[in-house]
Amino acid sequence: MSTTVTGTNRIVRPLQYVALAGYLVFLGFPLLWLVSASMKSSSELNSLNIQLVPESFHWANFSDALAKQGLLHSAANSLFVAVSTTVLVIVISMPAAYALARFRGKIRTAGTGWILVSQVFPVILIIIPLFLILKRIGLVDNLFGLIIVYTTYTMPFALWMLQGYIASIPVELEEAGSMDGASRLKVLRIIVLPLLMPGVVATAMFSFVSAWNEFFFALVLIQSPDNYTLPITLKMFVGGEGKVALGPLAAGAVLATIPSLIFFAFLQRKLTGGLLAGAVKG
Amino acid sequence: MKIRGIAAMGVLALTAISLTACGSNSDPGADATDTGPAEPVALTFQSLSDQPGAIAATKTIVDTWNTENPDIQVEVVPAGWDGVYDKLVAQFNGGVAPDIIHYEAASIIPFAVDGYIADLTDLVDEDLTADISDGIWESVTVDEQIIAVPTELQSYMVFANKALLEAAGVTIPTGDTMAWDEFQDIAKATSTEGKFGVAWGLKSPTATFMSLGLGFGGTYFDGTGTEATINIGEGEMAVPTRISDMAYTDKSIDPVSLTQSGSEVLASFYAGNVAMTVQGSFQAANIAKDAPAGFDWVVLPPLEGTEGAEQSANPQTLSVNIDSEHVAEAAKFINYFASTDNLAALNTADALIPASTSAQEKIATDTAGADGWDVTLKSGAYLTKAPFLSVDTYTQWKDTVATPAYQKFLAQQTTAEQLAQELTDGWDQVNR
Repeated sequence: MSTTVTGTNRIVRPLQYVALAGYLVFLGFPLLWLVSASMKSSSELNSLNIQLVPESFHWANFSDALAKQGLLHSAANSLFVAVSTTVLVIVISMPAAYALARFRGKIRTAGTGWILVSQVFPVILIIIPLFLILKRIGLVDNLFGLIIVYTTYTMPFALWMLQGYIASIPVELEEAGSMDGASRLKVLRIIVLPLLMPGVVATAMFSFVSAWNEFFFALVLIQSPDNYTLPITLKMFVGGEGKVALGPLAAGAVLATIPSLIFFAFLQRKLTGGLLAGAVKG
Repeated sequence: MKIRGIAAMGVLALTAISLTACGSNSDPGADATDTGPAEPVALTFQSLSDQPGAIAATKTIVDTWNTENPDIQVEVVPAGWDGVYDKLVAQFNGGVAPDIIHYEAASIIPFAVDGYIADLTDLVDEDLTADISDGIWESVTVDEQIIAVPTELQSYMVFANKALLEAAGVTIPTGDTMAWDEFQDIAKATSTEGKFGVAWGLKSPTATFMSLGLGFGGTYFDGTGTEATINIGEGEMAVPTRISDMAYTDKSIDPVSLTQSGSEVLASFYAGNVAMTVQGSFQAANIAKDAPAGFDWVVLPPLEGTEGAEQSANPQTLSVNIDSEHVAEAAKFINYFASTDNLAALNTADALIPASTSAQEKIATDTAGADGWDVTLKSGAYLTKAPFLSVDTYTQWKDTVATPAYQKFLAQQTTAEQLAQELTDGWDQVNR
């Protein structure tokens, strides 16, 4: 029996790797093309001679990108806003999601309804009232104002994600902890939280990417170049009349991807599943 | 331990936000009230300049102004074209719009109609008024008030591969204008097996059709504001019909190019796969920069229809926020910005046509006609106000009705009669 399985594996496993490699190439190709475009001259980008490896490496795109409108400063703003948003979203949504998942009653129904309704409103509908509210409290053209907006806007979906993860943790585990004499807080800290970590990491990634890439709120709410975030600065490579500085734009986009990659590399080790396998039997 | 750390960061962040909410005074609108009479006037200038040369030219203009006018200091606030309409809507509604606003005539007019833009009629210098043609001034006039100073314009020009035209035995036109019939003949003559006479990026065709339609008397609209009515007749249908005939009957326009943007078809032009391409005049700078070495190209004279070579003027503009506390000072800066040398420097960097005659003459002298500047500048004489600039729901009709209708027509999914009907019915729907 085991010989048969091994024999099948010998055939199937390489095919799986080939399929995986193909899928990775499919996923990674746009990024490869971006990197390639970031090193091509304007004339090569506007020729029919299309190839992945540039004819000559045009590093000036990177210096142009860095020189344009303070790309590094914008990246620092984006990093600050995205990390702050992520922390706030996680800190606020974890207890809220636990309550939504575990406690039945009218508040849960109302909370779930709020989550769904909040996703219905298009941004364009709320931007003017939001602008006026933030202006009244002095948070227009302010990165903290942007953090509050992003947190508010990301929270419903983050709550939805986290409450799903919490609901998947068997309540019997918590009951077992209680029976062994652990307080509710200790149960949450020692049992629920470790099991919830993959969900927290996934939610953190979602919050970070949402805030990192967001354009429209930043466009309207931020007024001065000192507070511009990366998407605003990158958009300025696209001019009127369809003019696009494609090389510097690609170089800027490549540089903009680096913090996300680092953030993901740091978090993805925590993104492990299957912790609950066999946790409850009988 | 990790959770305690995260919680601590959260508390810190919330505290910081609370403190900021209490203490922040970043509201740009609040600065003006704090300015005492002895302080220099501070003006914000939201600039959409996007080309490195134009950004540098704008900076030089502002720096020079600030040096020469210590009592009126201008600060450039760079912004991008993308989304600027929504940004301005929020800025005006929130009372934080900049003092000086860079935009384009078609898009700033709705703000003027809504009362957000100052009347500059009595604030524009007489010399500047005389230096810009009446047709261009009309494009920035609302209810007999000048609501902006025009700075840069573009026209649609035919760029040609000189070698391919000569190889086809075509005499390169050199007159003041080139008749559409002649253009179509050249396109046919230069179309060979596997190659097309023209590549025309018409992914977003409405502006092109409406601008070139003026040459056939295609004005599209009668009346102004909310009273405007649409009129799709022979003149309005002339350009789309001719282009469709060239693509599918003469087979002298690459039909694939009709689905691409102007910039996207340039690669075919550089590769010698097409003899001509119709582009915004600003592409001359890109062609000069990106074309392969030895690529011999010319700009052909402006296209002339049965009624003339007119094209619509939709200039880039400088306006003043009506709520600015320093409208007169802002207008003074705009007069300086639009002086001959400044407009010449800016338009040279952007490869656009200056609104003022003197700046056009300066560029003609400075460039000596290189890179097609002589022909491009001549086309400026045919730029005039198009009726659509004074129509309230034009932008909505253009985006939701005209562009998809033209795209379907160019893809041969509808006939000319159906196109005319769609444009008319769509107008009625938008204005219901």
